[in-house]
Amino acid sequence: MIATTEIPKSAGAFLRAEPERFRKWMLCRQGNLVAFCIVAIVAGAGSYGAAMGCWRDPLQALYTGIKLPLVILLTTLGNGLLNGMLAPLLGLNITFRQSLAVVLMSFAVAAIVLGALSPVALFIVWNTPPLAAGTTISSPEYALLQLTLAVFVALAGVMGNLRLVPLLREWTGSAVVARNVLLAWLAGNLFLGSQICWVLRPFIWDANRPVEFIGQDCFQGSFFETIFKALCKLIYS
Amino acid sequence: MNETNPVPPQIPPQIPPIVAAGDARQLGSDPAERAVIPNVVVAIESILRHPRRVMFQLRQPDAGKLIAMMLLVSVVCSLIYGVVVGTFSGGQQLWIAPVKIAAGLMISALICLPSLYIFTCLSGSQARLVEVCGLLAGLLMLMTILLIGFAPVAWIFSQSTESLAWMGTLHLVFWFIATIFGLRFLETGFSHSNARSHAGFHTWVIIFLLVAVQMTTALRPILGTSDTVLPTEKQFFGTHWADCLKATDNELKSRVRE
Repeated sequence: MIATTEIPKSAGAFLRAEPERFRKWMLCRQGNLVAFCIVAIVAGAGSYGAAMGCWRDPLQALYTGIKLPLVILLTTLGNGLLNGMLAPLLGLNITFRQSLAVVLMSFAVAAIVLGALSPVALFIVWNTPPLAAGTTISSPEYALLQLTLAVFVALAGVMGNLRLVPLLREWTGSAVVARNVLLAWLAGNLFLGSQICWVLRPFIWDANRPVEFIGQDCFQGSFFETIFKALCKLIYS
Repeated sequence: MNETNPVPPQIPPQIPPIVAAGDARQLGSDPAERAVIPNVVVAIESILRHPRRVMFQLRQPDAGKLIAMMLLVSVVCSLIYGVVVGTFSGGQQLWIAPVKIAAGLMISALICLPSLYIFTCLSGSQARLVEVCGLLAGLLMLMTILLIGFAPVAWIFSQSTESLAWMGTLHLVFWFIATIFGLRFLETGFSHSNARSHAGFHTWVIIFLLVAVQMTTALRPILGTSDTVLPTEKQFFGTHWADCLKATDNELKSRVRE
């Protein structure tokens, strides 16, 4: 009989959990597990977002502290149906609720890592020359800040997804099926997540605008169109 | 019909935890490791000669006292080494350098502690937060004790040369060597806590080294002198060192011209 009270009691217990324990949590229909993940995402990603935004302004810190968890939660919800359908199609027989919870768990791991790195991010922001009248998008201090903060986000994302691999392998019994499901979920989450980030920008600074929650041209253009245009400029210039 | 040779149930192979090569014994298996560390002198001797004793004691319920002793030793040793660093410029640097080195070390450790705990959890380590704090305090203590060992060498060079870049490089090299031993202690302690992988720990090492090195720039000048105790301009480590090397190069060229 599966215990109905097995929920993570702390971030440490959650991160240390073996794949069998993760699977038990999945099968328990525990709303508390989802609540734990949401709290971890809000606290972890929120503190990292606040560290990112404080280079520009305390108000930007508040806005980015709200927006970064929002990106994660909106990506999870937006792709919930797609992820729930892809999993059984690729060989992993789980319900929609379970696929949502699994994806939320990997994001919670990433958010906890981001939260742990937020003192380091704050130290980097504190060491970056402040925003000045002469600062531009191509200024080296802004570029280095952006790159370092992005590397931390990528690191957290990799750790979150690596945590998912043994769980999917345990569940499917097949490394190939686990890999295909993970790649499909990753591709979908990256695709939607990139565009949600584009819509909710800026996270650090917009040179042409005052501090605001979302830019005025949030629904104009897309992340991938911008990348495509930049690539064309690079190739044909 | 009775089975005379029943087939035993298949037990899946357990992935063994990583343990430092050559020392696979469980902590506490040696009675000497179970002896309580009563004072600072024994703590210093233990971390140098019997680090497993320190690791075992950090798992006991009253590890707080041992952690406090190790942090006290770290602060005192870094203050002493800071005085040696300050002798290069003399004057106010004799008190400013020790304060900056001690404070910078403690703040760097504090900044990196949350990520160390999270990465150890992700690796499957069973170490609790208190034990992780203790291992980090052990790293700091071992690092600063070794710096004291380098202090006479650093002092001789401080009195012999006027080159800021050379002395800065020398102090960084000494610090790096001391840190390697401290990290070795931390990694061994980590190995005994059932960690399945060291990838997270190695990532943390890179973060810790970068934070510590950047802290030296954030608290500059530690070796040289300045009108203000703390810098008025923010710079990254790489930019600061490039400026220092450029200034040294210009000084050498002007001397050659003379």
